[in-house]
Amino acid sequence: MTRFFLILMIVFAVLAVRTRKLRRAVIHMGVFSLISSFAYLLYSAPDVAIAEAVIGSTLATILYLVALQKYKVFTIYYTNEDASGINDKYISKGRGYILNMIEKFCISRELEPQVIYTTESLEQIISEHQYDLIVRQRDNRAFIYGHKENYQLDSLQEYIYTKRDRDIDFHCVIQKIEEED
Amino acid sequence: MRDHSEIISHTTGILYPFIILFGFYIILNGHNTPGGGFQGGAVLSAVFISRYLALPVNDIKLKNLQILEKIFYILIVGIPMLFLFLQFNFKYPFWNEPYLIAMNVLIGMKVACGLSIIFFRFVFYESR
Repeated sequence: MTRFFLILMIVFAVLAVRTRKLRRAVIHMGVFSLISSFAYLLYSAPDVAIAEAVIGSTLATILYLVALQKYKVFTIYYTNEDASGINDKYISKGRGYILNMIEKFCISRELEPQVIYTTESLEQIISEHQYDLIVRQRDNRAFIYGHKENYQLDSLQEYIYTKRDRDIDFHCVIQKIEEED
Repeated sequence: MRDHSEIISHTTGILYPFIILFGFYIILNGHNTPGGGFQGGAVLSAVFISRYLALPVNDIKLKNLQILEKIFYILIVGIPMLFLFLQFNFKYPFWNEPYLIAMNVLIGMKVACGLSIIFFRFVFYESR
């Protein structure tokens, strides 16, 4: 009996490490700590078992899930200041290029990109909306703005500089915004 | 979690009193059955978490909870000092069990306050 549950614990630990999706790994962790609490019970330590069941499989799992929910949706505002040129072939090509890159980055990070096209100016977006990333395009230059505390920004910068296509003449500038509260 | 469903809010509404009852059962019987202040307090803080699942509204005053937690902390430090240094446990031996229960209740309340502060702080404020 005890041995069976210990083996099951090892199985779930390996599953939690080896799965691709973070959400699944969190659930495996919850099952793992539930089984470990049962193992504590079998070793006649009911006190520890209650603590493990409450903290490990309930509180920690919910906290992880909430954290995933918070960081998962990645809101991108796309704004084009000279809106008259929005149908220009060159600009739309560049737009597709930069947004494609950001979306690929999001998928590699298990984020869900949500692109919103607006014609509002940068200051308006900063003051009024909840954003993760703002892409502003002016002719063939793209400016990417992100909040100062956004921890994905540095890795995005690295990603863009390593993966970008040399053939396309397209400039990316990443800036961090400091908000005064 | 943003689009909370009817089913979840109704079932958590039904489960509320049972969670509170279970938490207080664990705390009050902590001195002679498994459980105790910490475990019961963690169960009690699950009330706040299920409340968040039912209706995600930020109307809890964290400041008050923090003050409450500090008061409990002072009581947890102060009551044993009074009880043990004045040697009440030898003078009045029948007070020992109420003393244990009171300490368990205090610890449980402190843990419940602390864990719910952590949870709400995390859920509503740490957004980036």
